[in-house]
Parts: sequence; C-alpha cells; structure tokens
Amino acid sequence: MKENQVGVQTADTQTAAKKVNTLVQITDRLYELFDNIKIRFSVLAVALAVLLYLPMRSSMYFMEVMTNVWFYVVMCLGLNIIVGFAGLLSLGYAAFFAVGAYTTGILILKYGMSFWLTLPISALMAVLAGLAIGTPTLKLRSDYLAIVTLGFGEMTRLAARNMAITGRATGLVGISRPYFFGLHLYKINHYYYAFLALAILSIFVSYRLMDSRLGRAWKCIREDEDAAEAMGINVVAIRLYAFVLGSVFGALAGSFMAVKMTAISPDSFLFTQSVNILLAVVLGGMGKIPGVILGAFVMVIFPEVFRGIGQYRMLIFGLVLLILMIYRPQGLWPDRSGTISSKVKDKTCKDEVI
Amino acid sequence: MSFQEIFIQQVVNGLLLGSFYGLVALGYSMVYGIVKLLNFAHADVYMVGGFCSLTLLTLFKDTFLGNSWTGIVVSMLITMVIVGLLGVVIERIAYKPLREAPRLSLLITALGVSMILYNSVMVVTGGEYRAYKTGLGFQGISIGSVFVTHTQIILTVAAVALMLVLHLFITKTMYGKAMRAISMDLDCCRLMGVNCNKIIALTFFVGTALAASAGTMAGVYYGSLHFFMGFVIGIKAFTAAVIGGIGIIPGAMLGGLLLGLLESFGTQIPFIGSEWKDVFSFSILIIILIFKPTGLLGKKESERM
Amino acid sequence: MKKRLWIFAFVILLILSGVIGCSQPAAPPSGGGGEESEAPEFDGEILLGIMVPVTGSEATYGKDMENAMKIAADEINAAGGVLGKEIKFTLGDDGCDPQMCTAAASKLVSSEVVAVLGGYCSGATIPALKIYGDAKIPFVITAANSTQIIDENPGWAYMINSPGYHQADAASDCFEELGVEKLAFVHQGDGFSENLAELTRDEWKDRGHEVVAYDVVNKGEQDFSSLVTKIRSSGAEGVYWTAYHADGALLIKQLRQGGYTGEITVADGSSSVQLLEIAGSAGEGVYCTSPPVVDFLPKAKQFISAYNAKYGQEPGPYAGLAYDGVYLMADAIERAGSTDPDAMREALSATDNFETLSGAIAFTPKNVLEESNFITIKGEGGKWVLVD
Repeated sequence: MKENQVGVQTADTQTAAKKVNTLVQITDRLYELFDNIKIRFSVLAVALAVLLYLPMRSSMYFMEVMTNVWFYVVMCLGLNIIVGFAGLLSLGYAAFFAVGAYTTGILILKYGMSFWLTLPISALMAVLAGLAIGTPTLKLRSDYLAIVTLGFGEMTRLAARNMAITGRATGLVGISRPYFFGLHLYKINHYYYAFLALAILSIFVSYRLMDSRLGRAWKCIREDEDAAEAMGINVVAIRLYAFVLGSVFGALAGSFMAVKMTAISPDSFLFTQSVNILLAVVLGGMGKIPGVILGAFVMVIFPEVFRGIGQYRMLIFGLVLLILMIYRPQGLWPDRSGTISSKVKDKTCKDEVI
Repeated sequence: MSFQEIFIQQVVNGLLLGSFYGLVALGYSMVYGIVKLLNFAHADVYMVGGFCSLTLLTLFKDTFLGNSWTGIVVSMLITMVIVGLLGVVIERIAYKPLREAPRLSLLITALGVSMILYNSVMVVTGGEYRAYKTGLGFQGISIGSVFVTHTQIILTVAAVALMLVLHLFITKTMYGKAMRAISMDLDCCRLMGVNCNKIIALTFFVGTALAASAGTMAGVYYGSLHFFMGFVIGIKAFTAAVIGGIGIIPGAMLGGLLLGLLESFGTQIPFIGSEWKDVFSFSILIIILIFKPTGLLGKKESERM
Repeated sequence: MKKRLWIFAFVILLILSGVIGCSQPAAPPSGGGGEESEAPEFDGEILLGIMVPVTGSEATYGKDMENAMKIAADEINAAGGVLGKEIKFTLGDDGCDPQMCTAAASKLVSSEVVAVLGGYCSGATIPALKIYGDAKIPFVITAANSTQIIDENPGWAYMINSPGYHQADAASDCFEELGVEKLAFVHQGDGFSENLAELTRDEWKDRGHEVVAYDVVNKGEQDFSSLVTKIRSSGAEGVYWTAYHADGALLIKQLRQGGYTGEITVADGSSSVQLLEIAGSAGEGVYCTSPPVVDFLPKAKQFISAYNAKYGQEPGPYAGLAYDGVYLMADAIERAGSTDPDAMREALSATDNFETLSGAIAFTPKNVLEESNFITIKGEGGKWVLVD
C-alpha cells in the first residue's frame, strides 16, 4: 500500500496521502468484487452487449464520435507499445497512420485491390518504415529518437504532399468501400463495429504482448537499461521490436480509416495528430492498457463535449501534461504495479511519512 | 542571371538563413550539453521573443528611439533579458523538479511547456499573423544582378557577432568554465563546490536569450509573426545542432551555416524543386545519425544511454 | 490483477458512453435572431446547418461566414420567413480538417437539418459531399471551389463561388493585360492552391505563353530567399501566388527585397487586406484575382452597414457569398413549396439568374456557376482598389 503514494513534497502531504489512501481502499474493494469470476464475466458480457447494442439506439453523430474513440484506442495502444512498454518517445506516430492509409488508398484506387488484401501489405509497409527509422536511431540516446520521429512525421507528410502517386496536396479521393462477406460496408454503424472489433483485437494483442517474454524484456529495459543489457538482453533489437509492432497498429488503423473516410489528404497527418495520440497515452498512464483506453476516450470526447473552450483546449492539455509529469507521472489510471515512474517514486518517497 | 551570380546570391541567402539556424541551435546545444535535455520549448521561446520585441517596438515607435535601427536594437536587448528570464522561470517550474526523473518524463514535460507557450500566444493573438512593422526599406547593394539589402547584411553581422560573444563567454569566463565543467560531470561539480543550480539557470538564460534575439531578427527580416513560426525552425535548428555535434558550441554555429547553405542550394537542384527542401534536410539529419552520430565536430563517444 | 483492471476499463467506458449517449440529443439551434425586434408569428421553423471552420487556423473566415449568414436569416425572418416558417441555424465546426468535417457533417445530419450551407476549405468539404448525398440534404457551398468538388459531387451540392477554372481565366487575362510573357507559379502545397496553380499553368500554356517556374513553399516556412533567387534567375516577368495571405505577404516582401521587379498577382485566398499590411510598401501594385468581396459590390452597401452594426467589424472576403447562399436557399425552398429534399434539389437546379449581391446565379448541369464572378483588384496605398 505504501508504494502507492505519489511524491508530493508539500506541507499537506499527509492529508493528500490520506486521501490517496482512501481512494486506493475504495478501488481495492471494487477490485476484490471483481475477483469473483462470475461477476467478472457477467460485467464483461454486459459491457460488450451494450457496446454492440449502442448503434441501434444512437444518432449518427454519436456513432461517428464513438467510431473515432475506437480508432483512437487502436492508435493509442499502438503508441503505448513504443512509449509505455519500451519507454521510447515517438513524436511522429501519425506517420505510420499515414503509411497505412496511403498504402490502402493507393492499392484500392490505382490497382483495384480488395481492401482485405491491402491490410497485410500496409502492415508490411509499416514494418519497413519502422525499421528504416528505428535502426539508425535506436542505437543512440532516446532523445534522438524523439526528434528523428518528429522529423520523420513531417517528412512523410511532405512526401505524401509532393508525390504524384499519393495524389499530392488533394490526397486520394473516392476510395471505394469494401465488402465484408457480401455486406457492403458503407454506413457509419458498419465502421463502428469494424473499429470496435479492431480495438478489441488490439487490447487482446496488447495484453498478450505485455505478458510475453518480449513484454518482460521491454519492462526490464525501461526500468534499467544497463542492468537489462548485463542480463543478456539485446537492447537495440528488443526496442526495434516495440517500434515496429507499434507502427503496425497505427498502419492498420490508418487502413481502416482510409476506407471509412473514402478520402485522405496530407492534412490529416499533422504534428498535432501525433501529439494528440501521445497525450492520450500519457494522460491515461503510459504502459497501462486500461489507462490508455481511458486516455483515448478523454481525448476524443472532451473536445466534442466542450466545444465552447475551442482554442483553449490545447493550452489546457499542455498544462495538464506539465502538472501530470511533475505530480503524477504514472497518469490518471490508478497505479497498481511497478511502472515507469518507480524511479521517481523511490527518490521522492524515501522521506515520506505515510 | 549568370551561373556565378546565382551561386553568389544563394550563398548570401544561405548565410543569413544559416545564422538564424545557428542562433537557435546554440540554445539547444547548450542546454543539451549541460542537463542532457532536449528542450522542445526552445523553438517556442524563439517565437515568444519575436512577439515580445514587436510589442516593445510598437511602444518605442513614438519615442525618440523610433522604429528604425535604434529602436530595433534597444527592443532586442530588452527582449533578450525578458525572455531570458522566462527561460529561467521555465527551468525552475518545469525542469528542475524532474532533474532526477526518467528521461521520458522530462521529454514529455518539455513538450508540455512548448504546448503551453505556443497555445497561450495563439490565444492572445487569436491565431492571426501579426505584421512586424519597421521603418526599414529595401535599399541595398547590387553587384551585377546579385542583390543584398542593408538589412540582410546588418542582421548577418549581428548574428555572427552574438555567436562570437557567446564563444568568448564560454571559453574565457569563470561562468563559462563552470558550464563546461557541468556538462562533463554534474555530480562532481557539485562536490567541487560549483553552484550547479545557478549555472544551469544561467545556461537557460543565455540560450533562451539567443533564441529570442533570433526571433527578433526574424521578425525584422520577414516582417510577420505567427504563433507556430517556431515549429519548422525548431526542427531545423536541432538538425543543425546534431550536424555540428550536439553539446558543442562551435558545432552549432557550423551546423547552422552548413544547413542554411545546403537548403539554399537544395532549392536550385533541377527536378527536385523547393518542395523537397525540408525532406532534404531531415534526410541529412538521419544520414548524419547513421554515419557520425556525434556530429562533424564531435569526438568519439563511448557512453551510450 | 491485470484482468481486473481490464474489467474496470470496460465498466468506465460503459458509464462514459451511457452518460454521453444520453446527454447528446439534438443540438440546440443557435442564431436565428430577431430577439430584440417584435418577432413575427411563425408557423414552425426551418432548420439549416452551417458547416464552417470556427476553430483552427481558418476560424476567422468561418466565423465571418457564419455572421453573414445570420444577418441574411435575420432579414428573411423579419420579412416573414420562408413559407411562413422561421429560419434557424445549427452549427457544425469542420475545423478545416477532413476528420472533423465528417463528424460535423454527421452531427448536422443527426440534428435533422433541411439543408446545409458553408464549406470553406475544399479539403474539409469533399468528405462531407458523400454524407449529405446519402442523407439527401442539399448543400450550398459558399466558398470552397476546388474542381475536385465538382468530380466528387453526388448531385446534392451546389457551388456558388466560381470554380478554379474561372479564376485561371481571370488570372490569365490579368497577366495578358499586363503584357507578361514568362510566368512563374508558386503555390503552398494544399489542395486548393495546387489545384489553382495547375489549372492556371495549363491555361497559360494553352494561350501560347511560357511557364518558366512552377514551385511550392511549405506551410509555416518563413524564408523564401532561395526561391526568390530561383525565380529571378528564371527570368520570370510575372509571379502568380495561388495560396493564402499570410505566406503570400512574406513572399511578396522577399521578392521585392531580393530585387525582383516584375509583376505579382495573388489569388483569392490572399485577398485579405492583411496581405498589404504585412507586405508594407512591397504590396503596392500587387494585383489580385478576387472573389466578389462586398467592398467592391455596389449592391452590398446595406449589408456592410448591417454587418458593421451587428458585429462591430468589417465583413471578410467570403461574407458576401455566405449571405447570398442563405437567400438562394430561401428562394429555392419558397419555389419548391416545401422542404421535401427532391423538390428543393429540383428548385436549386432550376435557379434561373437569381439576383444576389455578387451577381446572378444560374447553375450548369454539374451544379457549378455558369458565369464567372471574379474581379481584379490592386493594392494601392495599403488598400485594395477595383481595377476595371
């Protein structure tokens, strides 16, 4: 329990600590409740049923927003592999989204390929792009990766804007929508289900990755790189895995987006897009899958609900980011296991009183 | 225009652009050298500097200083002090509490500071472009069809002069010595009785002030300001810093000038055209990172983080 | 432990979606107007959607268009409305971003609007065409004019701003009159300016003249000096800038700073007076192929003063067209006799020289204006003046 305290070195640390304690106790109760396997499965089943039922009752606008949520969930889980699991900062994640969207768009428009066949190809393209960026930079300090990915993000956008095959500035227009076992996917509800399925798949894959040998290696590198290397982990290779796997998520989300929008243009892949995805990951809690999902939710829903704040939005996000990093680097989601921030905690909690 | 004339004109263009890059790159390089932080907010400080000096210049317009060179120089100096202090404040609030934190947290904080800076300017200016009105004209010197305005000459000279002053500051003064020592080993300096917090704050002050001066010069030269104007130059300046060798002061200057020249000539390459100019400079960044990650002036570094 | 977190995530998502799903019924219509004056008796209302960017980089233009539309609606409502019903608006913010645009369009469709007006950025208008087409909602596009819209139009959109090829004609005429032979093009790499640069380049070649440079600058870039040298060395006698005012001003300034002495013409995206303000003395003698800006329309005096009175500022470049769009829509509904989609569409197609501030409106079979409405203006003394 003591481990859960966040280092806030102020005079009222005591009261703050108490509050956090009560909060943790409440959540612990709830967790205990979920330990019962019957309850767990029934809750999950009800949740899924509601999510599946949602399109029957909701307006088109709401479905559009929810589809965007699932889309963000996929992207954020992808970035989470890079930032959360492997502890690398990528500032050009939108580029992989672009790689996927353009690959699918071009193959459908110019070569008349079936949408479902373009998916493996766009994943392959993302792997190649990830390797091209990751190989030179992952050997260096992680800061270089941040700026190189930032540059790469801009470069991809500029390249897409200047090449004839990507339709230059106007982008690709009129991408035909796919059929799914004879069903023409043209309504927003179809895409809602498609993205929901993709999101559930991503959640599943993320959990499997986290619990795998690879996932433990990531965690190990993240916590102490030198120790990891001493234990015989090939740091560069393991990081490269994270980078490439993360980009595949983005590319697949991009492919689906291309057919959903039927039009893609370089303006969809601006730096702000990458920042938004990163924000969602950081906000919820890097490396924590439920936290990342929560972050994606907040990032999509917040601007839709608070239309009025308009241009203050990014300012608020910037402030939140700063405060979060200083006071609660592990994100909004309650911290239950050793994470990225344990180093900070160790430093600041040594002289804490509980 | 003959081939030679195009060549000379592009060299002139490249030098001015390169000295702006160099000034901004210096700040990246200094901060990185000392606290090993990639300060994303640096590019936005450049933009804030531009707006700050514009405000001052507008105030001076009707006083004896006017909005010509006297006014510009005075407002630039005041801007450098104000924005330099802003840099110190940013360091105190955002970076100092995280000095022992993992690198990722620090990078994200820097990103947050950057967002706060440019978005607050956006809110204040309403996202509009602002005209930077000076009393300067387009008079200049022409040799053949090579044409250089007086403004271009003065700004280039000023930028180079600032870099030289910084170089002297780093190499000849005690403060400079302390900075160099900290960049080698912070903990050791602390043990030796160097007031590290003070020196780090000073580094932020100097680096930020230089970026602010570059912002002012850009305002004077280009004639308009925008809240997002730091973004592109930020990436370019970082590229310049890496080309020269990050953490190395003369490297940042060399890298800046080199990148400026490369870009100017990049526009002239047939069949490629200026649309590929930015792609060109990012590719250089990646190529340098593959073959000589320590930069042109960097020494071989065995440490890896 | 992890599995429990997983369940927790789901529960929270569920609660969130529930909350939002419930709190989301039809957006309250904004605008309308006539609150102060004695409101006439209305027999119901006609809900129109406005789709413009009110956040992001193009927000100024979007708000300006929205304001102009509200003035038009106020006037129509004061005169008894349409079919005895009151015109009301609901806003969808496209943010000049394709993704936001689809959300905005879906939102408008969900709020059951009768028709939609707006569309500023071509890139953020194209994805909406299909959505409105599927929902059978007539869409009057009051600013966006990329030719791509014509190709992608499923038949429910009507463009009341002259499309790019009209402007290409206007620009070519302008340069021919100036006696230019060798022309350089610069665009900004977005859909609109590239499209216009290409159209004008082809037109210029078709007319038997020479294109000596065709270049693009990246958005947000400040230094064009190397480009200026390239243009000078190409021997261009005229430069046509097809993108927006902020970067256009920089280019003009640097062209003059770099010793370029030929003609400069800018396209409609640069028709803001801010261009001349930023460019300063370099802006003197710059030509502009402009959409019908209200300042130069003799019939728009009353609209300008109404706009001034209500919002305390001058109407922007697309205010006139936005204002016209509302009148056109009102007229079409009146002629259709109902808000039946097919009847409205037929009425819009059948529009026969409907008189508006910016000229008479009649559509080609592709729902594009028949007559060009471009005018040529010139920078003089820091202001735009009409060139005859």
